Amino acid sequence: MNLQEFKEKLFQLGGQHGFTDMELYYEREEKFACELFKGEIDSYDTSEVFGTSFRGLYEGRMGYAFTEKLDEESLSFLIENAKENSQFVEDEVQEEIFAGSEKYESGSYYSSSLADVTIAEKINLLKEIEKHIYAYDERVTGTDYFMVRSGEMERVLLNSKGLSLSEKCNHAGIYVSVIVKQGDQVKNGEYSKFTRDFSILNPEEIAKHAVEEALSQLNARSAESKNYPVLLRNDAASVLLQTYIPIFSAENTQKGQSALKGKTGEIIAVASLNIIDDPFLEEGMLSSNFDSEGVATARKDIVKDGRLVTLMHNRKTAQKDGVESTGNAYKASYKGALTVAPTNLYVNPSNQSYEELVSSLSEGIIITELSGLHSGANTVSGDFSIAANGYYVKDGKVQNAVNQMTIAGNFYKLLKNIEAIGSDLEFSMGFMATGYIGSPSLLIRELAVTVE
Amino acid sequence: MLSQSVIHDVITAALATGGDFAEVFVEDRFTNSLALQGGKIESSLSGRDYGIGIRVFKGLQSVYAYTTDGSKEGLLKAAGNAAQAIRGEKIIQPAQLQKEIIPVAHPISLNPREVEKLRKADVMKKAYEIAKNYHSSIQQVTVRYLDEEQNVLIANSEGKFVEDRRVRSRLAIQSIAAEGNQMQPGFYGPGAHKGFEFMENLNLEHYANEASRIAVTMLGADPCPSGKFPVIIDNEFGGVIFHEACGHGLEATSVAKENSVFANRIGEKVASDVVTYIDDGTLANEWGSITIDDEGEKARKNVLIENGILKGYLIDKFGGRRMGMESTGSGRRQSYRFAPTSRMTNTYIANGKSTPEEIVSNTEYGIYTKYMGGGQVNTTTGDYNFAVMEAYLVKDGKIGKPLKGATLIGNGPKTLQLVDMVGNNLDHGAGMCGSQSGSIPVNVGQPMIRVSEMTVGGTKGGE
Repeated sequence: MNLQEFKEKLFQLGGQHGFTDMELYYEREEKFACELFKGEIDSYDTSEVFGTSFRGLYEGRMGYAFTEKLDEESLSFLIENAKENSQFVEDEVQEEIFAGSEKYESGSYYSSSLADVTIAEKINLLKEIEKHIYAYDERVTGTDYFMVRSGEMERVLLNSKGLSLSEKCNHAGIYVSVIVKQGDQVKNGEYSKFTRDFSILNPEEIAKHAVEEALSQLNARSAESKNYPVLLRNDAASVLLQTYIPIFSAENTQKGQSALKGKTGEIIAVASLNIIDDPFLEEGMLSSNFDSEGVATARKDIVKDGRLVTLMHNRKTAQKDGVESTGNAYKASYKGALTVAPTNLYVNPSNQSYEELVSSLSEGIIITELSGLHSGANTVSGDFSIAANGYYVKDGKVQNAVNQMTIAGNFYKLLKNIEAIGSDLEFSMGFMATGYIGSPSLLIRELAVTVE
Repeated sequence: MLSQSVIHDVITAALATGGDFAEVFVEDRFTNSLALQGGKIESSLSGRDYGIGIRVFKGLQSVYAYTTDGSKEGLLKAAGNAAQAIRGEKIIQPAQLQKEIIPVAHPISLNPREVEKLRKADVMKKAYEIAKNYHSSIQQVTVRYLDEEQNVLIANSEGKFVEDRRVRSRLAIQSIAAEGNQMQPGFYGPGAHKGFEFMENLNLEHYANEASRIAVTMLGADPCPSGKFPVIIDNEFGGVIFHEACGHGLEATSVAKENSVFANRIGEKVASDVVTYIDDGTLANEWGSITIDDEGEKARKNVLIENGILKGYLIDKFGGRRMGMESTGSGRRQSYRFAPTSRMTNTYIANGKSTPEEIVSNTEYGIYTKYMGGGQVNTTTGDYNFAVMEAYLVKDGKIGKPLKGATLIGNGPKTLQLVDMVGNNLDHGAGMCGSQSGSIPVNVGQPMIRVSEMTVGGTKGGE
């Protein structure tokens, strides 16, 4: 059954079962991923998938169900389950099917030149990068993750109030993790980049980035465990920011899971901090003209000169707080429940380069990598104690890599302890991230550092 | 799900360009997930996942294609896309498919699909009431309910044709205790390879009270000191430490390419004598149990480390090719959207001889971790980290005041050598494990153990 036919049959069956308003959300995705290991194709994945989710009002309450099979059995599966699901969901806010925003931006986030890049060209890029990786330094022994991936996705939202929206986007990305050995020391270094412009992926630079990163971790030493000024390099800063983004969601303030409840309009950070959510970034991987409820997206300041301007809202959280949706309704996929998430969100860069920030430190620690954020960071209290890698700095110069560390602090306090913001804005897509998050390097006055 | 003749045609098409092995994985999965917040059911989602994954090997090359299009044309197209990655002439014909009947290893008595959702909501409300009423400082309780029925069909060019039904249920309770601007979470998430009978027989009092007790205890806890200490890790979910420090490093995913710190070390002493580490997918109805893996191989009990000696790895078919070893029934994946790779099932440290009382009373000064949070490992370097949900100071052989904000970091191979006491109270805890082939249910387990020295990163600073 095709989508249109499925929708018509579904809405008809829904009507017969007593549904008043109904919506069908559809996603179709084509993906390609390839891993290379020592010149050979190690894995090669290609896919074409689609799925739909249905929601509808039954006796004034919203019920949800999804399916990946567009057949007769699924029609009754969706209607019966959505009906049953609607019957005991008790939310104080009445959800509605949305009739549509007045105006939508018409940005295009689909690059036809990216779509024209062939599989052979993508594999060739990997081969080129690999050559440069092994040629760069004889201490390189291999890669433990080395992949190119690309995808395109189409989203369609159709409802019984006449709203019909669709959008297509695509992207390509590269991940490299290089292993270096020196004596009995083994270290790895990673690099990843997402883009809609395949031509910016320069094999030599990518290889250099990853290998240099790995080599810089060699000869790590211990350092005194104490409080240090900490420079969070741009990639580490964006990973930390990703972890704490949920505190800016009204869904979390309403559930008592963010300390920013009731803080809108108040100073929550240093005056130099500006955080922006921009769904229209040309190179944004989550750029879009409408959100998962069909609301028009909008560029907005979340934090302006240290002041919390707005939380992120979908229609339901906005109704609870008596404000308008900010166009941040989000579904992880058609399967997910409707929640709140950023689009392309970033800390606005300032004017000091990374090198200038390093040379400003009389003594300090640079953090280049954070791990274990899913467990070591408490988004409720803001406390974190997370594993980290990085370098020791003395008299404005990097002295050596440091053994595995933990850095500990509190994110809410950290926002007020930012001493300087770099100019080196970089975006990253974390493996658990909801949102495409960017940050320049951030110099933090003080964090507790424990060294192994 | 799909007929033998269609599958035969798909496998034939997948082998058209010279593949030496092809496999078809069909999945039809029904899920229900409900969330309760503040005493009210906030969401209830039901869904059906359906898709087919086609895999082709040629030597050490592996190709995977997946699709939601289950029509014969859709499948042949996907098989063609996979075959396109291999350039050559056809070299083998698929073997005749032979339907294999596998006895049910994990019987289900009440399929959740047959149970009214209102009954599921009732269980959640009961858990909520218990957790909420534990203490006046409990500000928020979230209860999540999940059930799923995953139907799979696995067939390959060696003639395998086998079907399996996996039913799982899980309840996750999170309590948040608050006082002033302090907030602390507590969590418990029991799960099993069972149907709704699991929920009916679940000791809600225990789990809901524990989630709240952890939150309330941590609210009054001191910041954890930093430094190197002996660390006592309690049983059950405490086993997450070996899952990270050791389990992932024994998977073919990292061993086959010799990237793991444990590669090429079978027969060597990799841990202290008191450590025996086992992965057992056959434990009856446990959360991480399987009847067959996602390559159609029967689940088994794999001894990985015995009395400190490395005995084996966790191996899937493709990893086994590079290693020249057989599958250990460890090929798992989240769904048809992932090619399977070597993964854990129920992994645990076997019982030792010490009693928990002996371990504590033999520790002069250190940290006792009662419940662990999650963790992560870099399998190349062996460096791991994980968060502690509930910790205490141990002083003069006694458990003392509670500590919050503790993170443990270390190196897997080194930590294995530093385990100096193993208790006799083995138990298992449910978790989700994320890796290359997605997020899958696993159990971690252990009796109480002691590590003579670990690096503890606390919020208090050095001591």
